[in-house]
Amino acid sequence: MATIEIEDKIFEVDGDGFLTKPEIWNEDVAKLFAKHDGIEEMNDKHWAIVNIIRRNYEEKGMAPMIRVICKETGLRLREIYELFPLGPARGACKVAGLPKPDGCV
Amino acid sequence: METLTKEKIEKGLAVLNDHHDSKLLTHLNSCVRCGLCAKTCIYYLTDPQEKNIPAKKVDIVSSIYKKYNTFTGKVAPGLVGARTLDEDTVVEMVDLLFGTCTVCGRCVSHCSVGVDISYVIKKGREMLAQMGYIPETLQSTVNAALVSGNNMSISNEDFVETLEWLNEDLQFEVDDNTATIPLNEKGKDLLYTLNPREPKFFPLSISAMAKVFYAAKESWTISTKMYDITNYAYYTNHNEEAKIIAQRLYDEMENMQAKKCILAECGHGSRAFRWEGPNYLQKEYHFDVMTSVELMAQYIREGRIKVDPEKVPQIVTLHDPCNLARTGGIWKEQRYILSKAVKNFVEMTPHGIDNYCCGGGGGQLAMSEYNDRRLKIADIKAEQIRKTGAVIVATPCHNCVDQLTQINITFKLNVQIKTIAEIVADAIVLESKSE
Repeated sequence: MATIEIEDKIFEVDGDGFLTKPEIWNEDVAKLFAKHDGIEEMNDKHWAIVNIIRRNYEEKGMAPMIRVICKETGLRLREIYELFPLGPARGACKVAGLPKPDGCV
Repeated sequence: METLTKEKIEKGLAVLNDHHDSKLLTHLNSCVRCGLCAKTCIYYLTDPQEKNIPAKKVDIVSSIYKKYNTFTGKVAPGLVGARTLDEDTVVEMVDLLFGTCTVCGRCVSHCSVGVDISYVIKKGREMLAQMGYIPETLQSTVNAALVSGNNMSISNEDFVETLEWLNEDLQFEVDDNTATIPLNEKGKDLLYTLNPREPKFFPLSISAMAKVFYAAKESWTISTKMYDITNYAYYTNHNEEAKIIAQRLYDEMENMQAKKCILAECGHGSRAFRWEGPNYLQKEYHFDVMTSVELMAQYIREGRIKVDPEKVPQIVTLHDPCNLARTGGIWKEQRYILSKAVKNFVEMTPHGIDNYCCGGGGGQLAMSEYNDRRLKIADIKAEQIRKTGAVIVATPCHNCVDQLTQINITFKLNVQIKTIAEIVADAIVLESKSE
């Protein structure tokens, strides 16, 4: 099991840096994970994306479609890619504390 | 690891005992240990240890073959380097064959005697698959496909809603409210496929291809039942599962009565359906299969679509997906497209069939446990890109796109990663409606 240390806190993660225990996630974890990926300050748009991803995960056990993220947040597609340069999967889902999605991501 | 039982060993060895496979015997026994392959391999080049030499990966499979299938190997294994298939061997096989190879095949094209090293490595993976030692992280994506019908477990409802949303987007983009992304229409010329990561997270490439089809006035459709071009069982080498997945697309081609199956920009998926598919299914296709890259080149060549390179003035370089360029032989078409659709095209070095793997091939992108290695081998691709001075890196493979996106951030390249369709869509000149 891999671990990462961010600001003196240690998290168990998979090799790609996704939380292995999604249930320990909270807003502080999100901020730390975002910082680890180079997002110094989570703004309202970051939170809107992360919250919809988290809610979908808790309700349905997986990340939402990008269409749902756009619809619920009112953000344009390209804006989401700019806010999370690693993309919705490796970027936003990781900050939202989800396990790594299957597929070519 | 799970206990290696006698039954498992027998299943693993059975892969090597298939004497119908004369190719396997030739390639298992032909390595002359010249060492030329070492410096062709991104693992060895970025971490020059003996175990990372491609020949060592062939050796572990051939040493097992010798132990059980040759006289000297049986009576004096030490003399010929024959090796027992035990737990230690399995652990090393998993590490070398799954964890230290992207099956890019670059070593094969440089081998002094023509050993198909990738083929032997894939046979070793097949042994591990038969014994039940596929890395769970990789198998998870195969399972998603087997259970849900696509490798990201997208529900039918979610998929349809996404394509309807993209349809609105298309009408806005081309300023024509009759433009459509046709779903489930039988008897069209083309059945188009997708990589599930497109509808799930990265739909710009679907919009781009829809725009290209619109401009070409193409007769096409997407099946909402079976659109997934990927086949991760090609990576696990569990051939029975690969067959199930390939069969689905074959069946859907029959069901939709399309003339041609058009493969989305997906290296392994193209290989798994177009070139490996007839082997998995043990039958010839009675329909044509073509990549979207070849199709777009054809559109431009025949004047079916018009592109204006002035619309893409930035410096563009091209990454070659191994399964498409080196092993599939499709490397001229994307260059032809870029020569027409962008103003400043710069090749990376080396390029074409000798290009380096991005590091995400062979299933590496899915196997988190080897993440550190995947980013270490990516150093070579990062340098190749940096030296071109490009602002855009184009590549006809979604798997490569994901790895390149990570490379872009990790190595601070500050480039944009795009599919070929996205470039073509940017460069396209639509006929004005008054014409």
